[in-house]
Amino acid sequence: MNRAFRIVGTEGTGKRGARPAALLLGLALVAGVSPAQAADAPFYQGKSIRLVIGSTAGGGYDQWPRLAIRYLSRHIPGNPEIVPQNMPGAGGIVAANYLYNIARPDGLTIGAFNPALYFDQLIKRDEVKFDWGKFTWIGSPEQNEILHFIRADTPYKTIDDLRNAKVPPRCGSSGTGTTGHYIPRLMEEVLGVKTHIVGGYQGGAEIDLAIERNEVVCWSPVVATYFGREPYKRWHQSGFTRVVMQTGTKRDPRLKDVPTLWELMQRYGTPDSGKRLAKVILTAVTLGRPVSAPPGVPPDRVRILRDAYAKAMSDPELRAEAARRGWNVNPLAGEELEAHAREVIAQPPDVVEKMKWVLGK
Amino acid sequence: MLEAFVIGFWKVVAWPAFGYLLIGIAIGFFVGLLPGLGGLATLALMLPFSYTIKTPIEAFAFLLGMLAVTGTTGDLTSILFGIPGEGSSAALIMDGYPMSKNGEAGRALGAAIMSSVIGAIVGALSLAISIPIMRPLVLLFGSPELFIIAIMGITFIGTLAGASLIKGLLAGGIGLMLAAIGVDPQTGSLRYTFGTLYLWDRLDLIPVVVGLFAIPEIVDLAVRGTSIASNKQEKLTGVMEGVKDTFRHFWLVIRCSLIGVYFGVLPVLGANVAQWISYAHAVQSLKDKSRAGKGCVEGVLGPGAANNSTRGGDLIPTVAFGIPGSGAMALLLGALLIVGLNPGPEMLKSHLDVTFAMVWVLIIANIIVAAICFLILNHLAALTFIRGSLLIPFLLFLVFIGSFTANNSLEDIIVTLIFGVVGYFMVMFGWPRPPLILGLTLGKIAENYLWISTAAYGAKWLAFPSVVILILITIFTVAYPTIKERMGRARYERPEDVM
Repeated sequence: MNRAFRIVGTEGTGKRGARPAALLLGLALVAGVSPAQAADAPFYQGKSIRLVIGSTAGGGYDQWPRLAIRYLSRHIPGNPEIVPQNMPGAGGIVAANYLYNIARPDGLTIGAFNPALYFDQLIKRDEVKFDWGKFTWIGSPEQNEILHFIRADTPYKTIDDLRNAKVPPRCGSSGTGTTGHYIPRLMEEVLGVKTHIVGGYQGGAEIDLAIERNEVVCWSPVVATYFGREPYKRWHQSGFTRVVMQTGTKRDPRLKDVPTLWELMQRYGTPDSGKRLAKVILTAVTLGRPVSAPPGVPPDRVRILRDAYAKAMSDPELRAEAARRGWNVNPLAGEELEAHAREVIAQPPDVVEKMKWVLGK
Repeated sequence: MLEAFVIGFWKVVAWPAFGYLLIGIAIGFFVGLLPGLGGLATLALMLPFSYTIKTPIEAFAFLLGMLAVTGTTGDLTSILFGIPGEGSSAALIMDGYPMSKNGEAGRALGAAIMSSVIGAIVGALSLAISIPIMRPLVLLFGSPELFIIAIMGITFIGTLAGASLIKGLLAGGIGLMLAAIGVDPQTGSLRYTFGTLYLWDRLDLIPVVVGLFAIPEIVDLAVRGTSIASNKQEKLTGVMEGVKDTFRHFWLVIRCSLIGVYFGVLPVLGANVAQWISYAHAVQSLKDKSRAGKGCVEGVLGPGAANNSTRGGDLIPTVAFGIPGSGAMALLLGALLIVGLNPGPEMLKSHLDVTFAMVWVLIIANIIVAAICFLILNHLAALTFIRGSLLIPFLLFLVFIGSFTANNSLEDIIVTLIFGVVGYFMVMFGWPRPPLILGLTLGKIAENYLWISTAAYGAKWLAFPSVVILILITIFTVAYPTIKERMGRARYERPEDVM
């Protein structure tokens, strides 16, 4: 265990020290504060909450939580100040490890990181030092679905054409843990659709340019993104792209003619293990952009944070601001997040093996 | 078109847009001075303040004004102390800091600021001129072309090698090896991460650059025990001399500005690469190459112009396609959406006045900053005459705050220290440092585009006309000095590298 690694916080020292401290603090609160006094002074009054963001400033996983905390503070009794702190690294694993092992479970540190991190836990990456199901889940602003689109000037009109394609189409990807990689791989596994994945782009913007240039012809973005911003809006309206598959359980009203992955799996007789694999992988997008806290936060504070998050999400001002940015608000409560998180990491070995292939390992 | 050009100008100088522009400039000024705290992070922090601004042009005056000046003020610390204020200002250390050591800090600052203004104007005008041809211009460069351009950049390692070509090539090779660290984007496998999470994300350029260039200079200052300008007489002609230099080498400044625009348009490459290519170009154009690295003003003018003109180039794909050319542009794009604009073709038609307003913001912001700088430059130059022992604590503070704020990570400080030691020994044994940085910057880019080109086109891309032309240009640039020598017009000598 070298020094640099210890800094990341794998030793759990903070946690061992923090647990009893939190317990003592809890006892002190219970013993020393009468209910009347507690009602007078809310716990969060005069305190500040730290929000650890697992990506660099400016990305999608940074902008949503930054917007949310401006309204979250309003709805927490005592109106604590919420200070965002970027802790980028290893796609969010650094921040998740920190929140799980080092941050105190006192309700004063919360985190926001990539919801697909449980992939790394499932395939047992050594670097993962957290248990996804044990985080304290607070809420998520949106539940996403993904679609798979292809340039309309290619000969492929439907998934059937893609299944029978002699030359698989070239799809862009910006890394093995991104939708551009794991959705085509999932389609190959459960639908028998082969794709030639061209990886290495520096992000969605570069893939967009590559599609304009005909360097690649297909990609799998989030539905909200596809309908929310350029160049997709223009592409969709002008018929430059054609959507061939969507991942929702129901068809999106804007994509009435496009079959869902579940319909297609039914049509092609995909076995149960394939369906389970699809569920495990697609849970990441269902989780949206979740906010969580370390394991073991006192239940009353969890309640306060969850309620405040739910209220913030229905705050008309937040909704107006999100609408201006073209973001969907379709919140997921902390309890639901928790249920999803626990379910998704309890997988049999055969699903885990398939996951490894899907993630390019 | 002309009408929109004029309307754009009046909208920028009208109140309150002009007020927002001034606030943006003030913030950008100080951010530029702090190493590590780059334009991108500042934009992210300031973005929420722009949501309250109602009209697009006012929001832009604030955000773009802030971004436009970070490139200028980042140059100041590079020249004065040898500490790059921005990652894109590192190349100015090569000749800017030796100028300070020679007691010519004022002249170097004047040259940097004036070339920055010209670079910004060239960048902004390129944005304006390219409006009709923007889309084909951006689509011209696919991954195969970008790969060859990265390779072209790598060949400049030879130019920057200094006295010993073999040491330069080795340093470049080490840079290329360091670029391989991290998660491989194609297969997700981990390369040289030694069980740490920190190395998953590759080596961040800022701590490496700050360590490699700033720490050896601070050690040197401590050892010498004098001021930076080591008791040399200050040349009072200072700042104005630098301004005159800019016009003496006007065509060099224009050429380097165009290099900056070109690299701004290309996704991913940007100012970090443009500055080194411009520096190499400036060195190549010296008649007496032994002056490079000893404080020749051309080495300040080239990168000074290029790192500002990239800002205009960056905006081209952002405006034309709604596809950001850099991280900072992605944030600006978000701001555009909030104020109800849709980047893309309509920015070139119905919102042409907004596009031109951006052009004006780039120009006006840089002129204002230059004016402010000229008022204080002589005082800044005086810092190089302060005794080193008083300066060193402040410089160390700058270095470590700078390394830390890049990603808020302690490991970055460790990397800074490691590369500080590496840099110190490189200087001691006469190894050139720029090739290492160039290798580190371009290695990843070259690898990525080679992979993408091969994955998308097989081997066919090698025969694309554009690729063939670029290969020929690369070969010509490499062979040119030799050809010149054969022609017997001038004897080509490698610049002595004292860095």
